[in-house]
Parts: sequence; structure tokens; C-alpha cells
Amino acid sequence: MTLEDAVETVTAVVKECYYEAKIEASVSESTPLVGGDSLLDSMGLVQICLALEDKAEEIGFDFDWTSDAAMSKSKGMYRTVTALAEEFQNQQKNVA
Amino acid sequence: MIIVTGASRGLGNAIYKRLSETGHEVCGLSRDVSKIEGRSYKCDVSSYEQLKSVSKLLKKDKVKVTGIINAAGVASMNLALTTPPSITEKLIKINLLGTIYSCQLFAPLLLRNKGGNIINFSTIAVSIGLKGESVYVASKAGVEGFSKAFAREMADFKVRVNCIAPGPIDTDLIKGVSSDLISKVVEKQIIPQKFKTNDICDIVELILDQKASSISGQVFYVGGI
Repeated sequence: MTLEDAVETVTAVVKECYYEAKIEASVSESTPLVGGDSLLDSMGLVQICLALEDKAEEIGFDFDWTSDAAMSKSKGMYRTVTALAEEFQNQQKNVA
Repeated sequence: MIIVTGASRGLGNAIYKRLSETGHEVCGLSRDVSKIEGRSYKCDVSSYEQLKSVSKLLKKDKVKVTGIINAAGVASMNLALTTPPSITEKLIKINLLGTIYSCQLFAPLLLRNKGGNIINFSTIAVSIGLKGESVYVASKAGVEGFSKAFAREMADFKVRVNCIAPGPIDTDLIKGVSSDLISKVVEKQIIPQKFKTNDICDIVELILDQKASSISGQVFYVGGI
């Protein structure tokens, strides 16, 4: 999976979450998923992670969003769409 | 499917059996599954990785999880000053961390169903501040506090989280506790009666019932305090 593919996957998932939460805003690579500038609440973030679990299963790997590595502040995988996509791609690569 | 931890003995086993008998699909977790008649997974709740393995298996099998009952627990009667660090650690790991880990790892399975119930276990000893159980009380007070806050976190997902705090119940947990002390604890209850595992099972069923859908974040002190 390329980073581009991963960004596309994450962007689609975030758009779906926005739609369900009735958030009218565009999603780009730099869209923040946490913090003051994020339009998502904690529920939305969990829904994104669950949706990515399902996407990963379709592709053939486990997306683990609860590991120490994934959750550590230094990684900040929820900073932006791209950051989350990078983590998604990394986990897929580790299995492949 | 309702997950019951600590299902091989005591309260966990009684709850497992009651839910099975009343038509629920139940899955028991325990370090010793030989005593569980039915679906079970060998698992030490104090191990995050073991719990994670079980949650992955359940997810892989697309099991629809509707409830989590964290009945696994241990106790130790000792003054804090004479409790060895290994026992302190064991109490916190199994009672508090085990409950938190179970909630963290199995709750996502409930979220997928957009609803469900989590029942954790505390003890009347927390509200009494029972002498001789300070470390045990610490582990269970943590469970109560966690349950209340976790209930708020899970409310958005229509998952209810409640806590049952029994007094002395005849299980291995109170083996070795003198009848005199048991009587003293029971006397402090509003209903000064030593209740049985069946009574706890009744409360579990009450909480799981749809009629309790307005109740979350509560601690149910058995016998009252």
C-alpha cells in the first residue's frame, strides 16, 4: 500500500464520519483529528479507528490503534489525516 | 454474547451459569477453563496481551458482544503495613488493571453494536473503609471511580456501565475471614443480611434488562449502605 492509498482510505473514512456527524467541512491531508482545531469529538475519533479496523481487515491485516507505539504522544498519529494514514500504512507494511 | 471474566469460580461462575440458564449466549474467561461448562477462553485478566488475543478472536469470529461482566477478582485480608509488595501488586493488577484492560479491549466490540452493558465489581468494603482490607479497597475504589467516569465516555455509544458492590458472599474470596468479622460487616448494611450468589445474579439480570436503560454510572451496594 502506498502512502497515497493510505491517505485516500483515511480521507474516505473521515468524510464518512463527518457525514454521520452532520459536519459540513472538507477533508484534506492536513485536517486535524484531535486538538482544538479538530471538528471531531472523541466519539468521532473512535468511529474512525473502528472503520479503519474494518478497512484493514478487508486488506488483510489488523489495524491496532491501542498499542503503546500507536498511542505514544511522540507519534501523535491523530494529529492529521496524513499522520493517521502513515500509521495505517506502517502497520500494513509490517505485516506484508 | 456476554463475556464473563472470572467465570470458573465464585460469583463469576454463578453469573455465567445464571445467564446461560436464562437463555443468554455467554463466554467465560478464566485462568482455568476446565470448570466452565460452555464457551470459554483461557485468559489471565491481568495480562493485557492475553485479553487482546481473546478480543481479536471474538472480532475475527464476528461475535456480537452485548455485555461484559468483569467478575474476576482476588482479595487479601491484611493491614497495609504487613501486605507484601507482591500481594499489593497482584490485587491492583487483577482487580483494577484487569477490569480496565477488559473494558478497553472488549468495549470496542460493544461499540460496533451501538449499545450494550458493562458490569464491574467493587465491594462494600470501599464504602465502609474496612480495616484489614485497605489494599483490596484501593483496587476496588479504583474500579468504582473508573466505572463512573467510563460510563460517561461510553454513554455516547449507548453503552451503560455500572458497578455492583457486594458485601460478604459465600465464595472462596472470603474463605479464611472470621464469621465474627463477616457479621460485623453485614451489620453495617441497611439490610443486615448475608446475601448469596443468587442475589448477585438477580442484580446482574436487573441491570442487563432493557428496563434499566436509564441507569448508568451507578454503584449498587448489595444490602445497601
